[in-house]
Amino acid sequence: MIPVTKEERQWFLRQLALGLVEYLGVAEPPVPVEELLRNPPALYDEDFGVVDMFSNLWDATFARPPTQRGSIFVRMDLDPEQRRFALARELLSALITSKHGRRMGLSDLLLPNLRESAEYFASQFLAPEPLLQAYRARGGDRETFPHTFKIPMQVADHRWIEAA
Amino acid sequence: MSMKALNQLVARSIVDPSIVNAFSHGDIGMVMTEMDFSADVRSSLEQLKANSWAEFATLAYRIVKAKEESVRHVHLPSPLEGLLPGDARADEQVA
Repeated sequence: MIPVTKEERQWFLRQLALGLVEYLGVAEPPVPVEELLRNPPALYDEDFGVVDMFSNLWDATFARPPTQRGSIFVRMDLDPEQRRFALARELLSALITSKHGRRMGLSDLLLPNLRESAEYFASQFLAPEPLLQAYRARGGDRETFPHTFKIPMQVADHRWIEAA
Repeated sequence: MSMKALNQLVARSIVDPSIVNAFSHGDIGMVMTEMDFSADVRSSLEQLKANSWAEFATLAYRIVKAKEESVRHVHLPSPLEGLLPGDARADEQVA
């Protein structure tokens, strides 16, 4: 894989996030991340589609046994916003390890900076540019942004400044 | 125009296997003809050699960005405009 800058990687991640948002046909926030995981596009049917709960350790993690469908394990006591962000973050791992993701070459591009890539992807997927612009055009403000998009406050603050 | 088309192409590729299939079979040019790429950008992208779709997308982004920046640069007024002797605006101000 050729060397890739952070800006190029982020551009690529933004397009992937937008492609999924468009697939879902989302016209208003919040973006239904759990619905996507439970009912992914047909080409991911064999790769992922389950959200399991567990009660300790990490907030969420994606695991895929060889030759089996992957699952995201998410901690049950997370608040809804943190849970959605954790699921969106692990969605990227699910995409990378999927058959289609491997054909796309996602692992070579994204694995070297997986944590950073996953967090960036999650923020773009849950607060995509078109929905954020529409929210601002309607007079939506920074205070209600996290609640409207159902994302953690810290993520919302960063996303709001980034999109300004 | 071409950046918008490239964005759409890459966005679609995460849910539409036909795009990666076309790339794998050397037919990505056919897909691009259906999109709003300028002729010179499409020609440049068709000649790209890449080991994967992700690599192709990154190289394509570099090309399209560079083309759009060069066009923007050509259309920008020079910072010296209006300061050079004989310049119309400078003359007006003096008058």
